[in-house]
Amino acid sequence: MNDKLRIKKLYALSSENRKFSFSIPLKNKIKIGKRNYMVQLRSDEKLGTYILWKNRKYPVEIVRSRQNKYEILFNDISYTFTVETPFSLQRMKVLSSKRGKTDQETIKAPMPGKIIDVLVREGSPVLRGEPVVILEAMKMQNEIQSSVNGTVKSVTARPNTNVMKDDVLVEIKID
Amino acid sequence: MIKTTMKITKILIANRGEIAVRIMKTARLMKIRTVAVQTAVEPGAMYLSFADEIYDNTEDNSEISVFLNIEKLIAIALETKSNAVHPGYGFLAENAYFAQKCIENGIIFIGPGPDALYKMGNKTIARELALKSKIPMASGSQGNISNEEEAAEVADKIGYPVIIKAASGGGGRGMRIVRKPEEMERNFLTASKEAEKAFNDPSVFIEKYIENPKHIEFQILGDTNGNIIHLGERECSIQRKHQKLLEEAPSCALNNNLRKKMGAMAVQIAKAVNYYSAGTVEFLLDSDMNFYFMEMNTRIQVEHPVTEMITGIDLIEQQIRIANGEELKIKQEDVKLNGWAIECRINAENVQAGFAPDPGKIENLSLPSGPEIRIDTGVQAGSTIVPSYDSMIAKLIVTGKDRKEAIKNCKLALDKVWIKGTKTTLPFFRLLVRNQKFQDGNFTTSFIEKDLEKYYYNSEYEQMLAAWLATKLFVEENLEEDSIQIDFEDGKVMSPWLLNKRVNQF
Repeated sequence: MNDKLRIKKLYALSSENRKFSFSIPLKNKIKIGKRNYMVQLRSDEKLGTYILWKNRKYPVEIVRSRQNKYEILFNDISYTFTVETPFSLQRMKVLSSKRGKTDQETIKAPMPGKIIDVLVREGSPVLRGEPVVILEAMKMQNEIQSSVNGTVKSVTARPNTNVMKDDVLVEIKID
Repeated sequence: MIKTTMKITKILIANRGEIAVRIMKTARLMKIRTVAVQTAVEPGAMYLSFADEIYDNTEDNSEISVFLNIEKLIAIALETKSNAVHPGYGFLAENAYFAQKCIENGIIFIGPGPDALYKMGNKTIARELALKSKIPMASGSQGNISNEEEAAEVADKIGYPVIIKAASGGGGRGMRIVRKPEEMERNFLTASKEAEKAFNDPSVFIEKYIENPKHIEFQILGDTNGNIIHLGERECSIQRKHQKLLEEAPSCALNNNLRKKMGAMAVQIAKAVNYYSAGTVEFLLDSDMNFYFMEMNTRIQVEHPVTEMITGIDLIEQQIRIANGEELKIKQEDVKLNGWAIECRINAENVQAGFAPDPGKIENLSLPSGPEIRIDTGVQAGSTIVPSYDSMIAKLIVTGKDRKEAIKNCKLALDKVWIKGTKTTLPFFRLLVRNQKFQDGNFTTSFIEKDLEKYYYNSEYEQMLAAWLATKLFVEENLEEDSIQIDFEDGKVMSPWLLNKRVNQF
């Protein structure tokens, strides 16, 4: 309880590592240049939940929230943030400098569908842009491509099986 | 005006969604009764409320959709005493056998004759017909290709890049661009497999791939007396994976001379199959203003409203009148193109994940209105975009006195569309109307892949506001003891209004 009261700042880190800092207690005002602008979270029957900012309403939705990670749909665009306290941010910095770069790429299903074909097997070398799986969704066959150069470490996708969005299809060890 | 007697008294709508609504609106104006089919997939769909009669087919547990079930549709038409069927687009709209079956059962098929449907539906036959009628075409294979070796041979002869197309295809399915010989085998096999799944016909053919063309199509109208006219062109180059996203009429790439030439060719190819009803002749236009016949679509098209907006002609009404046996009252010289129209296809798709379908329930919906705005939709708040059908939510059609004004009006209208519950293509259109190349008319079918770095628009502060909201949630969940509630499903901590939203979903 006392720990919580001591937090003076929170940081929302976007997926591409943009950092937004907010003083705590969180105000309904955001300073742009020299002016403060009111930001309000509201909800009504017709429009659902929205944010009112500079006289305009923007639709907002919480797509997912788990622990300190949030996916927010704001004006039809999805943003993912992790909210960090000054302590957790410091810890993150230390951890990431120790871990270094990741050496593995996980290819996930971008949408729910049916696996039509798996084009690689364990140990296959793959190049960036090379198709690894054919996924059928809404009657279209989609080539799921490798985003890296590397070697296939494991294949979870099986032909003629259905997958959900974000199911792991193939793991690739990056060269 | 001469009053003609209507043979058609009741139309069975063999379709759903916005096009079912669209057809029923015109039928109502013409005082013709309509029958809509209620399915178990979407028993509360909006289109049902526009029909005079609803046929309850919710008990049908056949695996095939009723809109693809020829025997069933004929039976429904007979049972409901509908003496005409409108197939809309998709489903059986271009099925020659269905049209034939309708005729055999004394039901008027609102569309072209079975012979024209068959010939234009088979792309290899259509190619031969176009060749005979001296319509300019990209070089390609003589008829269908039977295996990957033959495919490689033909491609070597006409030169890469080539495009593999399904003989019975359409809508981008069974279509593959091949740039190198070593990619031929895999692409041939997937195209053929996809064609078989989608059209029940694995045959494919090969054409020289025209790099960076514009997709220009001509709307034509023909009657059963052999009168055929065109209603100008539509510009449909803004597409992804051969799926159109935005269409306009007219096209800024055409001058009157070229329009006249291409329009005459469109009429000529339609004449070659004694075409009647509404149809569309698709061309590719290269950077040197050479045009090539691609295919003819023998149905009303999704993008037909842009033509209606600049010609003032109701295409559904014309289809019904022509099917009724009436002579076309509009002559070519009567067709005047007034102003500009743009259509945005607002689909339930995730533009941040390669336009992947994002089906779901439309929680809130608010659509703009005004003199420059037309909305064609089949959904309302509470409707569900189901994965078994297309992902269309609404078509936003905006007009202006010229292209510049239409784009300006479109930009304003896009900010007034409010859809919650699924991700949509709105952020893409918001980007497009602000894009300089688009505004200049400087774009081709590869625009989305080549000229755009990202597929969505957000104004300067939107990400920051989203960050503020994430932080607000974090504060509510972690720092304010009073507001904490436990979700017993998985022990997650949730804020009261988030929980509220989840409850609403059931």
